[in-house]
Amino acid sequence: MKTAGRIYLAFIIFFLYLPIAVMIMMGFNRSPFYQLPFQFTLHWYSVLRDNTQLITAGWNSVFVAVATTIIATTLGTMAAVALSRSTFRGRNVLRILLLPPIAIPWLITGTAMLVLFYWTGIGRGFHAMLIGHVALAIPYVVLVVGTGLQTIQTDLEEAAMSLGSTPLHAFFSVTLPLLYPSIVGAGLFAFAVSLDQFVISYFLATPGFTTLPVQIYSAIRKGFEPDINAISTILLLSSMALFLIFAIFVRPGGKVDKR
Amino acid sequence: MPTTTRRQALGLIGTGALAVSYIATGRARAATQITVLNWQGYGTDESWALKKFKEETGIDVVHDYFSSEPEMLTKLRTNPGAYDVVLINSARSQQASSQGLLIPIDFSKIPNSDGLTPKLKNHPNLTYDGKIYGCAWVWGMNALGIREGMTKPDSYAALYDPAYKNKVALFDDAVTEVGVGALLTGQDMNNPKDLGKVKDQLKKIKPNLHTIWSSEDRWNKAFVANEFDLSIYWSGAAVRSKRNFGLPVEFVVPKEGAIGWLDSLSIPKTSSNQDAAYKFINYMIDPDFYYTWATKVGSPASANQKAMEKLPEDDLMRQVHKQKYIETMSIMSALPNDRRETFNNAWQEIKAFYAG
Amino acid sequence: MPAEGNVPASPRSGGNAATAAMPKWVATVALLLPTYAWLTLAIFLPLCAMFAFSFLSATPMGNEQVSFTLQQYAVFQTQPYMIEVAIWSLMIAVATTLGCAILGFLAALALARAGLGRSRQILLILIVLPFWTNQLIRIFSWTMVLRSGGFLDSVLHFFWAGAPSIGFLYTRPAIVLGLIHGYLPYMVLTCYIALIAIDDEIIEAAMSLGARWWTILFKVLVPMAMPGLVSGCVLIFVPVIGAFMEPRILGGPVGVTLGTVIEDQFTQAFNWPLGSALSFIMLAVVLAIFATFSGVLRRNASA
Repeated sequence: MKTAGRIYLAFIIFFLYLPIAVMIMMGFNRSPFYQLPFQFTLHWYSVLRDNTQLITAGWNSVFVAVATTIIATTLGTMAAVALSRSTFRGRNVLRILLLPPIAIPWLITGTAMLVLFYWTGIGRGFHAMLIGHVALAIPYVVLVVGTGLQTIQTDLEEAAMSLGSTPLHAFFSVTLPLLYPSIVGAGLFAFAVSLDQFVISYFLATPGFTTLPVQIYSAIRKGFEPDINAISTILLLSSMALFLIFAIFVRPGGKVDKR
Repeated sequence: MPTTTRRQALGLIGTGALAVSYIATGRARAATQITVLNWQGYGTDESWALKKFKEETGIDVVHDYFSSEPEMLTKLRTNPGAYDVVLINSARSQQASSQGLLIPIDFSKIPNSDGLTPKLKNHPNLTYDGKIYGCAWVWGMNALGIREGMTKPDSYAALYDPAYKNKVALFDDAVTEVGVGALLTGQDMNNPKDLGKVKDQLKKIKPNLHTIWSSEDRWNKAFVANEFDLSIYWSGAAVRSKRNFGLPVEFVVPKEGAIGWLDSLSIPKTSSNQDAAYKFINYMIDPDFYYTWATKVGSPASANQKAMEKLPEDDLMRQVHKQKYIETMSIMSALPNDRRETFNNAWQEIKAFYAG
Repeated sequence: MPAEGNVPASPRSGGNAATAAMPKWVATVALLLPTYAWLTLAIFLPLCAMFAFSFLSATPMGNEQVSFTLQQYAVFQTQPYMIEVAIWSLMIAVATTLGCAILGFLAALALARAGLGRSRQILLILIVLPFWTNQLIRIFSWTMVLRSGGFLDSVLHFFWAGAPSIGFLYTRPAIVLGLIHGYLPYMVLTCYIALIAIDDEIIEAAMSLGARWWTILFKVLVPMAMPGLVSGCVLIFVPVIGAFMEPRILGGPVGVTLGTVIEDQFTQAFNWPLGSALSFIMLAVVLAIFATFSGVLRRNASA
């Protein structure tokens, strides 16, 4: 029985990684039409270096992700503190209101943003994507930081306050340092959510400002060469690296999952 | 500990500032840059041509692509100011200009335009309210592309011939596919009286249909992979696939005739670089550019007579775009809104039928 | 930021007046306001705008004549093929969810019960890791495996030179396969959390009473993991019903789903009112599902 279980797990992992491995491999294959047999080349990586459209889109993705991380982590941490450190009526309603960004299919929220932003003249592009990405990332930040706050005993803060510090000072000198790993973890989470976000970005991108996933989707539909594989490989491996760092930072028994 | 956090916060703010300045400079750089909206791999984005154009004029050209004509129009509508030159099938020119998306062309700014075949330059498709809204660029046909070595079909009826079971590809375009159905039933492709017959013809293709392509690149990849042998295809792309990519495809115009089209280059009303746009259009109809494009890469037929005369008589492009087709084919013409809507709904319905 | 809109229920009504009076709730409001103002701008106002849009007769632009109408919601009547599209979308979503449930439950079971010790954490991370990467890229990867002449065919031809092509890109099974690949880790996680909570002694007790493995599976493990299974199913079904990129890339001509039709209305046909109406119909379905399973979801979230 146990052997069967292990074989089955190996099969699942094979299934999960097979296409990814093939995709990475094809980035090193000569044929522009993805024909096999395999002929090794680094050609597509040098093509990628000259593909300014993809490179620009890649940097755009990174900048949106950095900005999203800063804003979402700040706002989300504030909200998490308020939601876990004070009790008031309506708190559960506020908690439930955090769900729509992650629970409603992004197709719906993305097109809704498109309608509002187009209609009101907010327009699309960097700022619009930022609005969308931060909204998606905040719930995750509140979740991760909120979990972190639960593990910190409030009596430390109370002790500090009984020794005469103000609540604010107690928070900054006692809680925040203890919360530090959770906040970094939440930030990484926000970064990855933004970096991999496709649907919302797709509806909010403009020809002048697209992100990497949007550019890749457009290329898949309109024409591409294996340099797409090269940049996909880079994006994929960076996301994986981020996750591993995250797993090291927030490791309470793998309790924190993606949603 | 708190010092660490503060330093890190400062670092984050610094990165944020960097991001903002990056985006600001990205906008400022756009001074001598124009954006072209076109199909991918369709002449305007040939890298050698853009390099030469930059050397001559100092203007950078960037591209955005579409994969269907409705998408092109929606991109124009929802991205004001984003584009400077747009490729429009002349059948859509009136629709676009009636919605106030384009400016009338000032041919005095396009010196090469005196070479344009008058019939194409002043084509009724391009005219709206007495003005011309697009510079005729190239013309070509949608008909059949067949794998070399197979028997050449003489009718669109081959699309539902059981010999091609699961080996047929269609083009994802309502006007073209309704046109095919209309030609098959002997109707006017621009105004079929009996749309029911058209739909019946197209639905018969279902067992043969393998894929519906919407970009040349997709067509090439699928053809290489032997996904299909017979397809509705573009004449210019057929030349390109054969010459530039070495694919064994032959372009065939069946007895019902081809679906002709005239593609034009237009300038969106919201373009802020109209002079640069004119320069680019002028370059695109230049005989030298066309000669290289047609002989080295593969193209449809130029609307510029001088450009056509430059080509050798036996060039592959000329063999595909035989002069006689101009007589036998009808050109896609502008459609009134309700008919276009009807065509779209019919094609949506047929696609859902294929999927079902 | 135009945030005054409708900041939800300010905590003014709080019950903590006795200990810390004014400053405390001011601080709470100040901490919460930015987040909820942001969500209002990014989520709640857009949904309202889209709801309004769904009653228009055409996208307001230029000289277009626009009036209020209910016609967009009658789309299933005016365009009967949409019914078929909706049915296929549901079937794809159901097949994906079922596939994930079976594969994911068994994987979680193996993970929890195969006596893996410390390597369990590593395996769990390995399973979750792809989930963290870009879904679009993973779907794109499948095209290279599944297309005729692709990786799958090459492997087959390596062993059997004259074999016919088994590539099945641009079919519905390809869509379902890609979606299962995309969402499987969800199910593994939710089931694993449920299964790991089951006491070993219960299973040992059942075994010592002579229960066969299927009895244990269906009478003990499945019922006890039910909350995990159900929340996994909901968390998969909801995004899958709104999927458009996956059917588009893997489905080719058969990849017509509610999601792709909505995408088309916004990016191609420029019929935003119809797209909005379809989006709201889908949203209604999603909310109904959440309402039905909210009890299970909440229990599982607090577990």
